[in-house]
Amino acid sequence: MAARLSMLPEDCISTVLSLTSPPDASRFMLVSSSLRSAAESDIVWDRFLPSDLPRILSRSHTQLNVSSKKELFFQLCGCIPIDGGLRSFSLDKVSGRKCWILSARALSISLSNEPNHWTWSANSTSRFSEVVELKTISNMEIEGRIQTEDLSTNTTYSAYLIVKVSDHSFGLDAIPCETLISSRTCSVTNTTYLCPLDEQKQQFESLFFTNRRQMMEKRVVEGECQRPSKKADGWMEIEIGEFFVGEKSEGVKMNLTEVKGQQLKGGLIIEGIEVRPKCEQL
Amino acid sequence: MLKNLNSKHIQRFSYKYLPQFPISPNSPKLGFSRSQIANYRSNFPTTIMSSSKTIVLRSSDGETFEVDEAVAVESQTIKHMIEDGCADTSIPLPNVTSKILSKVIEYCKKHVETPNADEKVAEEDLKSFDADFVKVDQSTLFDLILAANYLNIKSLLDLTCQTVADMIKGKTPEEIRKTFNIKNDFTPEEEEEVRRENAWAFE
Repeated sequence: MAARLSMLPEDCISTVLSLTSPPDASRFMLVSSSLRSAAESDIVWDRFLPSDLPRILSRSHTQLNVSSKKELFFQLCGCIPIDGGLRSFSLDKVSGRKCWILSARALSISLSNEPNHWTWSANSTSRFSEVVELKTISNMEIEGRIQTEDLSTNTTYSAYLIVKVSDHSFGLDAIPCETLISSRTCSVTNTTYLCPLDEQKQQFESLFFTNRRQMMEKRVVEGECQRPSKKADGWMEIEIGEFFVGEKSEGVKMNLTEVKGQQLKGGLIIEGIEVRPKCEQL
Repeated sequence: MLKNLNSKHIQRFSYKYLPQFPISPNSPKLGFSRSQIANYRSNFPTTIMSSSKTIVLRSSDGETFEVDEAVAVESQTIKHMIEDGCADTSIPLPNVTSKILSKVIEYCKKHVETPNADEKVAEEDLKSFDADFVKVDQSTLFDLILAANYLNIKSLLDLTCQTVADMIKGKTPEEIRKTFNIKNDFTPEEEEEVRRENAWAFE
């Protein structure tokens, strides 16, 4: 009799599935009722969890009530507060790779402790206890740091600044900000605006201030002058850049600065910086 | 110089540096004949040659295979049997047919023969051997998984399981059923419930 997949012991089928991916294992549960338990086995989902998970979870006070590795995986796909709520950790559902969101408190924002420039407050739409709002400043410098040992190896990550623009904002769009991602091995710069493109405003500008935008863009480094994109939860994300995580452990700095415009700006609310795998990968 | 060599050196390099023991590259067994060993031992009494034994494996259909011990102990199951002293005459493997056993032995031989896995050429050669090794029909592939599982040969189990995993990746449940000839034995209610639980995987 020819050997078939269904004739293999459940352990072997689970070993096979542990070499696929979380979506593949989830789809496999629908193949047949008798093979479903092989797809739900701990052998499969343990392999999808990061190997250094205990180390990361030791930095969290959250009690995870789970009865299987599969439940643990899906619970971790929702954000878990780490380091006393300073950072938030989750797993990417499709690949099982580690994702982080650094809260505003975890970032280095110049003059963030000066109430004349920045104010800290609670925000009901944020996952963190505090967000920081820009009152008024001329030079804005925001920096976040992350260690590659907290991330998954052999993965390209993208970093995003999560912001909202308040109704009484001003000066945020005059000149693009410069972004920088740097580590010991690489350094990538780009430029980005803080507000989405406003068609009406652009038309008005082109009538009266034809050269101004181009003049301002010339002041900053060469870049794509990106725009933020809207997220489902009401916040916007501004791409800071991408970086590749190899085998070595190193620190990565993510910077967003606006120091070349010299004009005052205000009304920017920052939730934090999100670091997640670039979406094309599986 | 010879006094500083230990038994490991002798096993590895002896057929390079001691031309009185010519080994043809086409010889089917790795090992020395008993008279060669006796001669060797009389010339170098301080060195010890231990792993020159051959092990006899008996498949489920009665065929016997004589393999070098170094090749046979790629299987942890066989290794434990030898250590427990159950391998004096031959080792019966009632779960493995001769067709599959000969393939498993071919795999183990190749992996034992390639000691320097760091050398790029040897690594590429092994990779291409492994890729060709699993180009077999589904039935043989599953038999290899069963054999690797029973004989506890981790690298073979990983290789064969990865091959099947690659056949599953990216497929819908219907496509998987078709590829592996699996019957859908869900009741409609059960199927609806499982689909709802895993809806995210279908987006």
